[in-house]
Amino acid sequence: MSIIDTLTIAFRNLWRRKLRAVLTVLGMAIGTAAIVVMMSLGIGINEYFRESIERTGSMTTITVTNYRTNYSSDGMAEVYVSGLGGNDEIVLDNKAVESIEKIGGVVAVMPLMEYWGQAVNGQYYAHLNIMGVDIDKAELFEFSLAEGRMPSKHAGSAYEIVFGSWTLREFTHKRTYRQAVDAMGNPKLTLDSRFQLTFDYSNILSYDDMGMGQDGATVSKGKLYKLRPVGVMSEESNNYAWYSLMDIEAVKKLAKENKAYNELDTSRYSQIWVKCADTGQVLDIQNQIMALGYGATSAQDTLNMVTEQFASLQLLLGAIGSVSLLIAAIGIMNTMMMSIYERTKEIGIIKVLGCRMGNIAGQFLTEAAYIGLFGGSVGLAVSYGLSALLNMFVFAGDDMGIGSVMRSVIPMYLSAGAVGFSIVVALLSGMYPALRAMRLSALTAIRNE
Amino acid sequence: MEQNNDILMDIRDVKKTYHVGDVNIYALCGVTFRLVAGEVCCIIGRSGSGKSTLLNMLAGLENPTSGQIIIAHRHLERMTQSELILFRQKNVGFIFQSFNLMPYYTALENVALPLVFRGAPRARRNKIARDMLDAVGLSSHLQHKPMQMSGGQQQRVAIARALVSDPGIIFADEPTGNLDSKTSDEVMHLITHIARERRKTLVMVTHDPNMRQFTDKAITLLDGKIIDIHINENAIGKEFDGKQASALH
Repeated sequence: MSIIDTLTIAFRNLWRRKLRAVLTVLGMAIGTAAIVVMMSLGIGINEYFRESIERTGSMTTITVTNYRTNYSSDGMAEVYVSGLGGNDEIVLDNKAVESIEKIGGVVAVMPLMEYWGQAVNGQYYAHLNIMGVDIDKAELFEFSLAEGRMPSKHAGSAYEIVFGSWTLREFTHKRTYRQAVDAMGNPKLTLDSRFQLTFDYSNILSYDDMGMGQDGATVSKGKLYKLRPVGVMSEESNNYAWYSLMDIEAVKKLAKENKAYNELDTSRYSQIWVKCADTGQVLDIQNQIMALGYGATSAQDTLNMVTEQFASLQLLLGAIGSVSLLIAAIGIMNTMMMSIYERTKEIGIIKVLGCRMGNIAGQFLTEAAYIGLFGGSVGLAVSYGLSALLNMFVFAGDDMGIGSVMRSVIPMYLSAGAVGFSIVVALLSGMYPALRAMRLSALTAIRNE
Repeated sequence: MEQNNDILMDIRDVKKTYHVGDVNIYALCGVTFRLVAGEVCCIIGRSGSGKSTLLNMLAGLENPTSGQIIIAHRHLERMTQSELILFRQKNVGFIFQSFNLMPYYTALENVALPLVFRGAPRARRNKIARDMLDAVGLSSHLQHKPMQMSGGQQQRVAIARALVSDPGIIFADEPTGNLDSKTSDEVMHLITHIARERRKTLVMVTHDPNMRQFTDKAITLLDGKIIDIHINENAIGKEFDGKQASALH
């Protein structure tokens, strides 16, 4: 028996009892829709978290730190290894950068150096958390700026800087402590204002101002550098919004010159950022970095944690959907059994006419598969409709630019999986009826009732 | 006349016992006969004589309690279900009392059905089926459904269906049982004529002793035993012997 004949005959057999077939397909459609919509909610929650994590840092970036968290073998207790002193002190230096660069799949390695200083504008000053970045590589790591551009490589006497999101608002009068903002709360200073950079507090506040008497300190005053802001960090979903960015070479130079006021070991980095070629490699590369003895975190960590936490929720949602699919499967079985009782004589006849056992089972299984296919497809269409309605009317509203937490998302794999799964379920429930049909005696054809 | 190598069916001491509760019912009590290829034979008996049981066993639908059924040198009683289906597919056509056509298929589709199970492509099986319906005089009823045809016409469709796969043996179970006497005669003429024309072995079960006039051999059963084997040299239609085509209508 050819496949086309099997398909045609099975379809005609279903079509002969249209109402029953339609009702069974409807049951299957409801079951599929229930499972797809439930799972789409779970996927929606996951996607929300992935998006919000992606906003705070690229999914392909690993942050290498000089501390790490070790998990004991039972995965419960945590052992914290710090980078400050001790035998197993973790040192992030040029050697570390080199060894990380050797790992396959690593696109770029950028060391970062943190430093602290003061920006001065006349009577106003503000504290700066300076992050020294490698200007050549910074573009790869996608720093988001609210305005302006990244600093260029340090040259000449002026130092270019990107202010942190709130830096301009933080300028405070050194005596009155008034912030340099107008009545509306907008900063009076702009990027075009004239700024200076210093690491010596005495350049800003006299000892009187600091409430200390002049006790004959002999330390010479620190230098005032020309500071030229070229941009402002973006405030939104940015883990580094409070940092001001400078060229790392400029930071090293400044740190060396101002050792007396603010000591920093310029051979050591505070962090190293690693860019991976694609998301799939991140965990692998992260493990390799940790195997080298460094601490490493990535957005994948967070995402995995969140995904793990929501896995049980998804399971629950899926289980609720499965109940209706189970009922639909029982419906299919019932329909097929009914149809076998009705067709007992017919099955006997085709057996006498030379229909093989396998063909008989094949025909009934094909009928079941049709119910699964049609039910799955209709159910999927219903799911898309329901999903659109839910997103439009129920989950809309508390949208804060990043979308609501609850939403329904039906990815391609869920669509294909749903139809495939409903066919499999239908085939499974058609199995027993098909076996029954196959075993029916050909003698029934001869009997005249 | 009976040369050993011509023997198509060799039935040796076949017995069949049914157990109904504690009672044993002896449907067949040792039946032995032989048929040569191309022979037209009827098994006559009243209801309860065991004739249908015998036919079922010849067609491999039931197993004998004891005895041997050798058809075309093969022991039917030793075959499995699947082997029997294959055997029927290759060698056997079946005509039923109640026609047993598929009610929702047209005459053409009904006749082509056995070829569907043999995996014949649509164009080829439709051509064979059309020729077959032509041979039973129904070329104008190809697209009729069984409900739109008379009993005689339905049985003719069934005859075409039995012959469509060109089997060596045709079994007929009371083929005229649901027909009036005039139509019965027509159908009997047709069946025996086609069987002779195409050199098929025909085994027909009937309760009507008059049917022996159409057949070469008539085996009479009573209470599970053969009581008479009647050889008829002058069977109706035998003079055609396949040489004259379609002289019946």
